[in-house]
Amino acid sequence: MEIIEKIKTNQLVENQTEIQKICLDKLKSSPLPNPKSELWRLSNKSKFSNFLDYSVNKKDLKFDTPYPKNSQNTIRLIIGENCQIQFIEENYSIQQLSEVELDKYIKEQISCFDQNENWSDLLNLSLSCKKNILGLKINGSKIPPIEIFSHASSNSLNAKTLVIFLEKNCDIELLQVNLGKEESSLSQSTFFFLEENSSLNHGVVSYGKNGSNLLNSLNVIQQKNSEYNLGSLHFKFNYARFEINIKQSEGNAKTNIKSMQITKKDEQISTYTKINFNGPNGFLDQINKSLADDKSHAIFEGSIIVPKIAQKTDASQLSRNLLLSDLAQIDTKPQLEIIADDVKCKHGATISQLNEEELFYMRTRGITLAEASKLQLSSYFQEIISFIPVTKDRWNLLDKILNEN
Amino acid sequence: MVKENLVKDVVKEPYKYGFVTDIETEKIEKGLNEDIIRLISQKKEEPKFLLDFRLKAFKKWQKMDEPDWAGLGYGQIDYQDIIYYSAPKQKEKISSLDEVDPKLLETFDKLGIPLTEQKKLTNVAVDAVFDSVSIATTFREELAEHGVIFCSISEAVKNHSDLIERYLGTVVPASDNYFAALNSAVFSDGSFVYIPKGVTCPMDLSSYFRINSGDSGQFERTLIIAEESSSVSYLEGCTAPMFDTNTLHAAVVELIALDDASIKYSTVQNWYAGDEEGVGGIFNFVTKRGKCLGKRSKISWSQVETGSAITWKYPSCLLLGEESVGEFYSVALTNNLQKADTGTKMIHIGPKTKSTIVSKGISAGNSINSYRGLVKMGTKAKGSRNYSQCDSMLIGDQAAANTFPYIKSQQPNSEIEHEASTCRISEDQLFYLQSRGIEFEEAISMMVSGFCRDVFNQLPMEFAAEADKLLALKLEGSVG
Repeated sequence: MEIIEKIKTNQLVENQTEIQKICLDKLKSSPLPNPKSELWRLSNKSKFSNFLDYSVNKKDLKFDTPYPKNSQNTIRLIIGENCQIQFIEENYSIQQLSEVELDKYIKEQISCFDQNENWSDLLNLSLSCKKNILGLKINGSKIPPIEIFSHASSNSLNAKTLVIFLEKNCDIELLQVNLGKEESSLSQSTFFFLEENSSLNHGVVSYGKNGSNLLNSLNVIQQKNSEYNLGSLHFKFNYARFEINIKQSEGNAKTNIKSMQITKKDEQISTYTKINFNGPNGFLDQINKSLADDKSHAIFEGSIIVPKIAQKTDASQLSRNLLLSDLAQIDTKPQLEIIADDVKCKHGATISQLNEEELFYMRTRGITLAEASKLQLSSYFQEIISFIPVTKDRWNLLDKILNEN
Repeated sequence: MVKENLVKDVVKEPYKYGFVTDIETEKIEKGLNEDIIRLISQKKEEPKFLLDFRLKAFKKWQKMDEPDWAGLGYGQIDYQDIIYYSAPKQKEKISSLDEVDPKLLETFDKLGIPLTEQKKLTNVAVDAVFDSVSIATTFREELAEHGVIFCSISEAVKNHSDLIERYLGTVVPASDNYFAALNSAVFSDGSFVYIPKGVTCPMDLSSYFRINSGDSGQFERTLIIAEESSSVSYLEGCTAPMFDTNTLHAAVVELIALDDASIKYSTVQNWYAGDEEGVGGIFNFVTKRGKCLGKRSKISWSQVETGSAITWKYPSCLLLGEESVGEFYSVALTNNLQKADTGTKMIHIGPKTKSTIVSKGISAGNSINSYRGLVKMGTKAKGSRNYSQCDSMLIGDQAAANTFPYIKSQQPNSEIEHEASTCRISEDQLFYLQSRGIEFEEAISMMVSGFCRDVFNQLPMEFAAEADKLLALKLEGSVG
């Protein structure tokens, strides 16, 4: 793997920024994550090396999206393309973070990174050049929905970084779309900072093509009384990892997560979540759904950490999985680590196939097996898809996963 | 404040099995090397195959690393500072209990273990293991009438070496894990049970393990074989004196169930847990595994874990036979600075296999109590089912309860369900019971007992009562 050699010899990127230097220093001694650690144990080694096989992309990318055209009601931003972003209206403002602000925040984050746990972020920040880091601060209300795109180009490794500060009392809907190309790797790291009383409805749709690889890391810090809702969908990737790291820094915040991954052929898609309650009265409602078909492998690992300070936490986590083929496999591990005693925490996990009784019922009503299966699947998907913002009218995701995939 | 004092009073309840029996023992020198293993084997007059088994295991153990994934954070164990063989000195051969050193009988009497003739009415056959050797097994003649073999493993090596050679290490291979390899190299004694075809064992069998010396480890090995259509219920208990050093206990238990056979294995583990500051206590590293080889065979583990400074224990079932059944019912209680990492592994290999896991963890004081379990559906486990339930109860805001379920499925035509929850003794419930005139301590005992009911229901009568008492004793009033 060329990239690893380059990290070792400090030749990964030219004209390194200070952040790139710090990250490369952290990676240098052990450039690869420890395959024995829980977070990487199940990761398919050859697929992971596929991700690292491409050389770093230095050219500007042309953006051609298969998705709906921009409309006047939404703000569309493309990481790497927009030079100057500034929307200042009566009710709201969206402005780019200054270089100083951006550097300061990222450095703060890096200082608490662990080589293994934040390997994806360290790699991302080692690779991301200034142009590919988009930093925004948003405040106000009645903000139009925002769409932010990250995309890869064929036969190369691309890194994109997004940093967003949501100021007090701000309320937005944001859809993040990660597009993979044929034979490509995309490293996407996202950092959100939600100030008091702010609310973010966040959607993540990651959609690849043959031979696409993705490392998608999402870091959220929530101050008190903030609300973070995430709906995510990952499909069509040779190898994809979605790492969600949420910290309720003072407790008293609300987090809802509905995530889903669909694997077919010999794909491997995994979701790792870590929710840290750092204060009392935190709330979490999480559901992850997986569907594994053909020879694919779907993985979910979720951990909920409730230290002593986080009294009155109310957290639930559910992992629901559909295994549709004899050669596919599913691994799931919802875990709880609790020290505070006055808490309500629960988790559940199920692995099964389509419900035979329901299929039979529909077939007795004249619906073909194929259609009946589709109906059942659509109800399984719908719970997640309806939670992804900005999709209802413009993005026909359900149709896309049922018919194209 | 009143409640807090109560907590301290009750938790302070001394460990009543902590006495040391002053008896002359024969010990070999400290340390572990090939010569020591040869010496143990020679002392036990073992056949060559067993010595080879031990030496092979030792070689593997030397190449292995001590596992640290459970994050139990105990101090370094010096394996060269342990005595691997310690036996009470007694006459060469014992033909009846009258010849057993009265001090030993007294010890087991104090522990409430029915070894002496007058206690035979209890109808439980007992194999008592004191440090490294088995000192007595009761009811042997009665069991022999039914063809049941129940003896110490050393005796079995002499008298039934064909069975030992055939089955030893087939469920837990010597190279399975670090502590199993260590046990395979140095195991000193343990129990052996063989239930012939079609026999339902006429009484419960029981083994009682007692560590007496502070500087010797205990490495016992249990092997139970249930032939076709047989069934047996086996109970295991353990205690140790209070020492301010840590004593190592690394046991291996292997169960084999053939067609239509059923084995029920119950444990009440009450090793010395160390004092309030976490000084002393037993390091308990146990590998327990059952193999449901035959069709419709069943292995059921039930355990009440209250002792030990460190517990590392995952009684497991390999479900190979069609329609075989695995069960795991566990109550694990930790207090003060105890750390327990316990759970089970249900490996579904054969078709239509079923497993049930019910685990109840109670953590109090500054302890850490983790459930770690694996449920795996192999590619051939068509029509298999698993249901797991893991509940934790937290008492006080210093204790930790963790749940780590590993779930893996490669068979679409199977179902896995897992659920876990965390709760505490609620003030409301406590208030309700107290307002009905129920004492504070009794109210807590009732609630803990209710929390554990699903597991206690699975324990044999003798144990259920003991377990209930044990928990009440250890926990009453622990709510601050």
